[in-house]
Amino acid sequence: MKTVAYYKGCLASLSAKELDTSTQALAPKVGLDLVELESVTCCGAGDIHEAEPDYYLHLNARILAWASDTGADTLLTVCNVCTLNLRQANWQLLNDAELRDRVNRNLEAVGVPPYERDVDVRHLLWEVSEGDGWERLKVAAHKGLKGLRVAPFYGCQILRPSKVLGFEDPDRPSSLERIIQACGGEAVDYPAKLKCCGFPIIQAREETALGELVQPIEQAKDAGADVMVTPCPLCHLSLDAWQSKLKAATGRDYGLPVLHLSQLIGVAAGLPDSELQFRRHVVPVEPALEKLRFEA
Amino acid sequence: MKVALKIWRSGAGGDRALREYELDAPEWVTLLDVLDLVKDKVDGSLAYRKSCRMMICGSCGMRMDGAAVLACKTRMYDIAMSGHVPVISPMGNLPVVKDLVVDMQPFWAKFRAVDPYLRDEGPAPEQEHRISQERMNAIHKESLCINCGCCVSECNAMESSPEFLGPQALAKAMRFVGDPRDGAQHARLEALNGEHGVWECTRCYFCTERCPKGVDPRDAIAKLGAESIAQGIDRDLGAKHAKWFVTSARTTGWLRETELVPKTQGVVESIRQARFALELRKHGKVPPPFPPHVAKDVRQSELLHELVSLQGRAGYAGIVQGERGLERHALGVGEGARDPYGPGSFPRPFVAPDPEPEEGAAA
Repeated sequence: MKTVAYYKGCLASLSAKELDTSTQALAPKVGLDLVELESVTCCGAGDIHEAEPDYYLHLNARILAWASDTGADTLLTVCNVCTLNLRQANWQLLNDAELRDRVNRNLEAVGVPPYERDVDVRHLLWEVSEGDGWERLKVAAHKGLKGLRVAPFYGCQILRPSKVLGFEDPDRPSSLERIIQACGGEAVDYPAKLKCCGFPIIQAREETALGELVQPIEQAKDAGADVMVTPCPLCHLSLDAWQSKLKAATGRDYGLPVLHLSQLIGVAAGLPDSELQFRRHVVPVEPALEKLRFEA
Repeated sequence: MKVALKIWRSGAGGDRALREYELDAPEWVTLLDVLDLVKDKVDGSLAYRKSCRMMICGSCGMRMDGAAVLACKTRMYDIAMSGHVPVISPMGNLPVVKDLVVDMQPFWAKFRAVDPYLRDEGPAPEQEHRISQERMNAIHKESLCINCGCCVSECNAMESSPEFLGPQALAKAMRFVGDPRDGAQHARLEALNGEHGVWECTRCYFCTERCPKGVDPRDAIAKLGAESIAQGIDRDLGAKHAKWFVTSARTTGWLRETELVPKTQGVVESIRQARFALELRKHGKVPPPFPPHVAKDVRQSELLHELVSLQGRAGYAGIVQGERGLERHALGVGEGARDPYGPGSFPRPFVAPDPEPEEGAAA
């Protein structure tokens, strides 16, 4: 087992609790021992970086400091946006001693332990698509997803900018496809799987955002996907909850269920409904999964 | 060596055809050299732009396998050796004139719209401006732009909203907003906060990923947003949205999503959205506001906010301070730095991966 400091982020704490419950239930099956961070806040989601960037750096340094304080070497995230914001702040601090000193003095002044022992920020997707997590995943996903056509949707901020993320080729990623196949499903390919879901501007510029959102939904549906899977709860919110708004614009009711990564693996690993919590989705998931029951 | 590529050919009539070419070329060739060979030896009607051949004129932007590159910066050796046949097509988000040539007029119109020159609004200075290296470092990256259009080609927001000013014009705008010699900083920021300005960026980071010169337009856009807010220009919904995150982080720690719509869009809009909100509430997407979900030790977060507010790094200075560490990481200096010549570095030719052994699917 690998002990990791678990940073839930806002979504899994509040509106996407199903991401938290399924991650917690899945973790032991893929060799992860989660130490949940409590004295932490929102990473700023790119918004604080754009409103008060110095505060963004300190908020993220505080999260990194509390993660380091647990003794774990890895800070585990379950959200693309948290991953980018924390990794960006981490590289800024690890490669600039002067900046780190100043931030640490500020942290100590408000009662936070200074960020001294380095931690690595890693997304759940990365933990289960290579190494020990990957080996365990292949065993844990014993129930399989036979016959299920799954559209992978990466979301931007787990691929780009690659100088901050750097896990896989941002133009030809394969981690989600490998996981779908290891779970026994069939990965559906479509061009918009690497593009933006529109979420960051869905409130400020809804039309522009919906023009982005329609691409992955429509292409995945046309490619014959039964469900879509994403490692990002913000993409999930956009793809799942805002999908109904596409109907007004296109006249088409896509009805494409969108699963969190931990839920997709969770289905293949036989997690109970109480942990998967599909009732919390706006687009119903059950009809697509019926297919698995009949073929089981 | 043998080099093969496929090129999307098109003419004025809008007809398109994918043609394959194969020829002998020296091992050192770039994509641009191969296009020259095709034009010289196979088909003289092939149209593409070029000039300097050394990554400074910005003429030869085009797409290889769907990703914008400078043809003169892209070496063909690894690609040819892997047996991969890349597909070459014109840049995106700009109208195609012929083959690989796009109409740059919309690009230049946006470029001009941001007044890409120093505006000295006050009385003429009596002597030359003397500026520290540190002040110029703040706009070093933005100054590297060669106007090639690779960022614009890939911008996801422009695909959906073609009027968006876009990454090139905004990065250029930051180059002047951050220049201490410029006298129109506030007026520039006001203009950049319009309908299709700073806050229409969707943060897809394609611009930063594709830029062949390391300009990092997304970073420049964030600097413009931060500087706008620092100067009190915050009427845009995007700015209000960003500011609400700050309030949430220092008061409850977690984002108070229930209040995001009224705080960003105002009460009237939140009533108009009521039916949509009701649907979300049904599925637990809108947590009840009482009791508020408050993070442990959130007082630390409030105190941090008070403390850093007094330390003079508001606006784009707060982003510039982090660039040193990020660049050291990207360029392979220091602990944990990535290999600048390793996977993910530029130029990034396609190399076909080794076939993976069959993975045992679930039983």
